Amino acid sequence: MITQYFKILIRRIAREKIFYSIILANLAIGYAVFILLSQFINGELSWDKQNSNYDRIYRLQLFMDQPENIVKHTWSVAPALSRHDLTGLPEIEKIALLHDVGDNNKNGVFLSPDKNNQFMTRYGYYSDQSVFDILTFNFVAGEMGKALLQPNSIVLSRTLAKRLFPSCDALGKQVYGENKVTFTVTGVYEDIPERSTWRPAFIIPMSMFKTLTNWTNYETDYWGYSFYTYVLLKPNTTSKSVDDKIYSALKEYRKEHHPYLRPLSKLHTNPFFETKINIAITLFSFISILILLLSSINFINLQTANASTRFREISIKKAVGFERKRLWFQFIAEALTLSFIAAAIGLLIAQLSYPLLNKFLGADLLTGVTGNWRLLTLIILVTFITGYLSGIHPAYVISNFNPVAALKQKYVDEKSNGFSLKKLLMTIQFSISVFMLVLSFIVYRQTNYMLTMDLGFDSENIAFANIVTNKKGTIETLRERLLQHSEIADVCVSDYIPFILPGGDDLNLIGSDPNQRVFVRFSNVSYDFVPTFNLKIINGRNFSIDFPADGNKCLVNETAARLIGENDIIGKHIKLYNKDVEIIGVIKDYIVFSAYSPIEPHMYRLVPNAITSDAIYSVRFARGKEKAAMKIIRDEFGQFFPEDAFEFQNIRNLVENEGAVVAFKAFRKICGFIALLTIIISSIGLFGLVLFFTRRKMKEVGIRKMLGFSFGELYYTLSSGFVRLMIFSVIIAWPLAFYVYTALPGANKYSIQIWEFLSATMIIVFVALATITYQIIRAVKVRPVDILKDE
Amino acid sequence: MIRTVNLSKVFKTEMVETTALFNINLEVKKGEFVAIMGPSGCGKSTLLNILGLLDNANSGEYYFDGIEVTGFSERESANLRKGNIGFIFQSFNLIDELNVYENVELPLIALNVPLSNRRNMVGEILEFMSMGHRKNHFPRQLSGGQQQRVAIARALITRPKLILADEPTGNLDSSNGEQVMQMLEQMNSEGTTIVMVTHSADHAERAHRVVHLFDGQMVMERIDKVFEPAL
Repeated sequence: MITQYFKILIRRIAREKIFYSIILANLAIGYAVFILLSQFINGELSWDKQNSNYDRIYRLQLFMDQPENIVKHTWSVAPALSRHDLTGLPEIEKIALLHDVGDNNKNGVFLSPDKNNQFMTRYGYYSDQSVFDILTFNFVAGEMGKALLQPNSIVLSRTLAKRLFPSCDALGKQVYGENKVTFTVTGVYEDIPERSTWRPAFIIPMSMFKTLTNWTNYETDYWGYSFYTYVLLKPNTTSKSVDDKIYSALKEYRKEHHPYLRPLSKLHTNPFFETKINIAITLFSFISILILLLSSINFINLQTANASTRFREISIKKAVGFERKRLWFQFIAEALTLSFIAAAIGLLIAQLSYPLLNKFLGADLLTGVTGNWRLLTLIILVTFITGYLSGIHPAYVISNFNPVAALKQKYVDEKSNGFSLKKLLMTIQFSISVFMLVLSFIVYRQTNYMLTMDLGFDSENIAFANIVTNKKGTIETLRERLLQHSEIADVCVSDYIPFILPGGDDLNLIGSDPNQRVFVRFSNVSYDFVPTFNLKIINGRNFSIDFPADGNKCLVNETAARLIGENDIIGKHIKLYNKDVEIIGVIKDYIVFSAYSPIEPHMYRLVPNAITSDAIYSVRFARGKEKAAMKIIRDEFGQFFPEDAFEFQNIRNLVENEGAVVAFKAFRKICGFIALLTIIISSIGLFGLVLFFTRRKMKEVGIRKMLGFSFGELYYTLSSGFVRLMIFSVIIAWPLAFYVYTALPGANKYSIQIWEFLSATMIIVFVALATITYQIIRAVKVRPVDILKDE
Repeated sequence: MIRTVNLSKVFKTEMVETTALFNINLEVKKGEFVAIMGPSGCGKSTLLNILGLLDNANSGEYYFDGIEVTGFSERESANLRKGNIGFIFQSFNLIDELNVYENVELPLIALNVPLSNRRNMVGEILEFMSMGHRKNHFPRQLSGGQQQRVAIARALITRPKLILADEPTGNLDSSNGEQVMQMLEQMNSEGTTIVMVTHSADHAERAHRVVHLFDGQMVMERIDKVFEPAL
């Protein structure tokens, strides 16, 4: 009997190619989108999975009690927490302390294989040997168990090893660092997979930290928040007991700060315990289900509309004694078969397209499904459920045909007025289409806004470089030489610049409640930092060479001024590391690090144009003169720092490569893609529905034409039902889309406007009407005599 | 075989009630051949559908082979139809997606007859209908007469007790129509009870008895041939 069902289905597909092409295309696109978005979600959820101890690895973080809108968590923690408070706890099997080599937020450090060629390298770390017991490294050369035991060891990622030693093995070779340090390569490991929270390019022993940084008492330091700690818990232990034990570890130093362990499994999607959901994963899960729902509704509508062509078959079967249950089973089997065929096509589309899509998106967000049995199982399950649920209504309608009327080949019409499931499904279909398109527009606009918003500083015409040097003195002569060139507008030096996040501390005003402290980030800047970056002083004044005492003064940004809580903050004093620092000016807020994050309080201390061992030099050049300016900059700096390696780049690179910007660029493209697919799927569904609707109405069309009705009147007759449903769908879709807009995270939101709703709706209405019009024109062209003769 | 007592059927819509049948008292003995005639809209097909348990009467009683089947559920009706009642329609009503063999096989599938038995039975009946050479053809490849023969084969394959034929020659030319009538007579001579709706007086005369309907009521009954039920 099942073979008979398949025979009928296959023969029907061969006979009604257009109809089944529509059905399969509709479902296949829905499945393809679902599979691609599942790949993205799977990718997001599969970070760090290469670690064999995945379930027992944690990172030490801190929660800080702060006023609203301030980042409350950090994973840069004090080293004493690891060396003192975690060590010896019975729950803990291993601890590894890590620290940046140089500052990985800046340019990195220079490594050289031969003292001549310098390679700027980021993501180097000091680390304990125990890190290899916690996280999984695949060594391709050297002995992992001893790799960091000797001082001056260095282990390299495979890519870095190839870069430094392209023509030979790196193992045992010398690598020269800055400040005349020499390392020996004791290991090479496979590049850490991209979907990893920590991806070091090279590692040197933590035992060298004291020597290379002169921070000799770091192991007992509870103030220096610049270390990272990974922990391996023993089997069958939980982090809660550790959290309870270390909760008040900082009470003598910063009682508002509370350490806790965060599992590796959550570090990417949900690094802080306050956010219960990951917005990207939630949104894309929701979208993928909606798209599949849209395709399924199309499927239901199309199958049900096509039911009239099954009259004879069903009626005969009933006449010869087939029970309804058997007929039901037949149509469910058909729906499942079509669902699986469409899923196979969708899977093929997804597999073939995901590498191209990754290129289009500019990031490897999609993973493919090869070898991913969990994802494949999910796809099979979803295909089965979708096919089954989509088949229920058509199966119900068809198996309930009145065989008497059907055998007379009279179409059994549903009620034309009042509620019907088909109208409900069509309304839902329109609602989803309008909602998806409005949402795509909103997200597109939001990402656009973030990518083009005024950052509050000159983000186009500044070149910068991080220079590590032993040179002493000031940059005055260098500045004068540079300013002689018309292409150069200004020069400054600082330890941090916009989009390179500095550290901070809890500060408060002298004379205020000592418990009212605010976490404030601070930078050390030269006189010309404000004009170089085109910042605005909105209260007080900038640092000035005319005021020698400015070395003990500071500037703050607007947010700091507001949160510290004084109406007129000029002249007030801040306590900073036992120093009394007067506030002389307030800088207008600018985006310090990311348009996605709220602006944090910021303080600026003066470094009077001094050359420090590790600083960032920034040069603003005249608009349109970048190429010439860069040459001048490289030449002048090259002469001024002849012994030191550096690389200038435009600050625009920092802005465009900032994590949230990259993510939102990809997000914007995805939304555009989804919008396009929504229109396609809606069009396919509408096309098929209108096709059947107009066929059913042929008799009415014939009679009305015979009576002399005009084309316009016929058009109104055939289209008015659809238009009513579209109007109703807007009532559902618009509030839903607005709610999603309000729920979108991020500090800077653009102001939503009605035209986004209107234009998205008009697109769907236009597509719907175009589809309807095409079918109606075809229907109306048929001669009345041909229709009525058949009747 | 069949007995109806005051059978009535009313079709209701939102605005209109139409009495299709009113107080029909009909008895058809086993092995009898009864023709039903009447003008269009008099309720002939409605009566046939009720007799075939494709539709339910609103009032009255219907006895099939001694069992009261009035108010049978759809499931009970389907179970009773299986193997007991065969249908022949004016418009043949073959399933387009199935070939001749598969169309004829359908009632056997409904009865869960095993595959090997089905093959033999279908083969035999198709040979009997002189359609064996067309068993792999589809309905659209057959003439009207051939399609009706396939439909008759489908109706007969389970050797039903009752054949209900609704204008079986309506879409055929006289030659094919004559062939169909001969087949029906042959079936009847072998013991099959037949109730046939027809517009053709010539064809009606081939029945044992003709029942006339008018506006849903039995108005006349004419006995054309003597019927002697088998003992």
